[in-house]
Amino acid sequence: MFEWLDYAFMKRALVATSILSFSVAPVGAFLVLRRLSLAGEALAHAIVPGIVIAFVIAGLSVLSMIVGGLIAGVSVAVLTTLLARTTIIREDASLASLYLVALALGIFILSAAGSAVPLKSFLFGSILGIDDETLILIGATATITLVSFAIILRPLIVSTIDPVFFESQSRRPGLVGQWFMFLVVLNLIGAFKALGTLMAVGLMILPATAARYWTSTITSYLVLTFLFALTSSWAGLIISFYAPDVPSGPAIVLVAGGIFVFSLLFGPQGFRLTSQLRGAPKSSAATAPEAAE
Amino acid sequence: MLLEASRLSLGYAGAPLVRSVSFQVEQGDVLAVVGHNGAGKSTLVKSLLGVIPPVSGAFNWPGGKPKTIAYLGQRTEFDGRFPIRVRDLAAMGAWHGLGLLGRLGARTHERVETALRRTNIEHIADHPLHVLSAGQLQRALFARTMVQDAPLVLLDEPFTAIDQTTETQLLDLIDAWAAEGRAIILVLHDLSAVLQHCNKALLLGNGRAQFGLPREVLTPANLVSQGYLSPSQAAWIESMFSQPQERDMKAEGGARV
Repeated sequence: MFEWLDYAFMKRALVATSILSFSVAPVGAFLVLRRLSLAGEALAHAIVPGIVIAFVIAGLSVLSMIVGGLIAGVSVAVLTTLLARTTIIREDASLASLYLVALALGIFILSAAGSAVPLKSFLFGSILGIDDETLILIGATATITLVSFAIILRPLIVSTIDPVFFESQSRRPGLVGQWFMFLVVLNLIGAFKALGTLMAVGLMILPATAARYWTSTITSYLVLTFLFALTSSWAGLIISFYAPDVPSGPAIVLVAGGIFVFSLLFGPQGFRLTSQLRGAPKSSAATAPEAAE
Repeated sequence: MLLEASRLSLGYAGAPLVRSVSFQVEQGDVLAVVGHNGAGKSTLVKSLLGVIPPVSGAFNWPGGKPKTIAYLGQRTEFDGRFPIRVRDLAAMGAWHGLGLLGRLGARTHERVETALRRTNIEHIADHPLHVLSAGQLQRALFARTMVQDAPLVLLDEPFTAIDQTTETQLLDLIDAWAAEGRAIILVLHDLSAVLQHCNKALLLGNGRAQFGLPREVLTPANLVSQGYLSPSQAAWIESMFSQPQERDMKAEGGARV
């Protein structure tokens, strides 16, 4: 039953995705809370040309991949803001245009250069691709992310709930949001090898949306998001081991999708919330205090 | 004196919204800021917070600028679905002084509990935000404002979409803050509330500003000339001025423009 643990590459993948879950969980949680889930998805595609160009120039060097990915991701983010401010097209359409061009450019270069890495593992990830360098990349990403969250958690919460209030309390109100977007790009690069560029965001968003159906405090939300991410990673890896033609990315994301559907059906703030609201005009929590007034 | 402004221009460089704004605020004052949309009311509040600095001139703080200025803005960008409890939302008022990793001390906890009690939301302190009514949410935000414990409180249209019962209770709370020696600057559209609860008024409109006692500033003639009321609406306030006992209006729930 545990024969998959005999393989070094599986152990490695297990360690990598466990650390990755720690790292992407808070990032995904705040992407959901800040209503940036789709922007995260777009950014995952936007980093592709940077990674590809770095790969074509420098081969499988993790460092050049980070630099390339960061340059591409941050450029698209900055350009999007610029276009939304200076032209008539709004932020969503600007971002969509830019990331599509970036993704097409990345795949174009990769194919034209006659890459040794198969396109499939580039798009969907491969547990075989996790070497020592990748493990170090994931470890560094997780360290930077968790230390950052320890520092910016409170300002991040305040700026998410009430940006106007946050602006009144902070000397540099934009900084927290920019730092957070940097963490998003960093984690997408960290998740890229194991999950692929098309699936990297799945491990961020799906555990976070699923956990939101169960929890109503930020602490329990972050913990449950992590547990869901971890469960998805492990189960997905095992599926990918027994069905070797299935890349790890889709396997992990499908498990996360299963947890999402289960949470939607049975979580207190999923479908049950709507049926409660339909059953009684107002939930008892909302009416009782009014009556007390 | 807590705060003095003399001949400020507010707005954005090249296009100031209002010129020559002068007023004084003492401890215990409740200053109403009245004006049409786009007159510069929110801009004044944001310039006091330092978010939009004045185009020309500067605020003068005779006793030094307070470390904390309590602020309750308009709720347009507020996320009412964030997973946090009412008690923690109120406690956010104390997060500013905490530093990065500091924890809330026993005294702060007491301050939070007192604020929840005085805004009458103790019984829903453990509820998440998404089950609250608009009035309950505004009470929670008033609690957060109290927890900020500041000598100057800025409230930008705090009674939008709030029922009259809640508005009356929150106005009483503002009176209590003034009695504690705090100064309150209040952006309001409800003129009857201004006359009952504010001892100073600043009327902004059509690029100009007038400051003084509410009865002297908010005259029908001024309100019309500064674009706040149409001449026909001004007839209403005329009738209000002719009423000898305006406090009676409070019992009727107050009339709105």
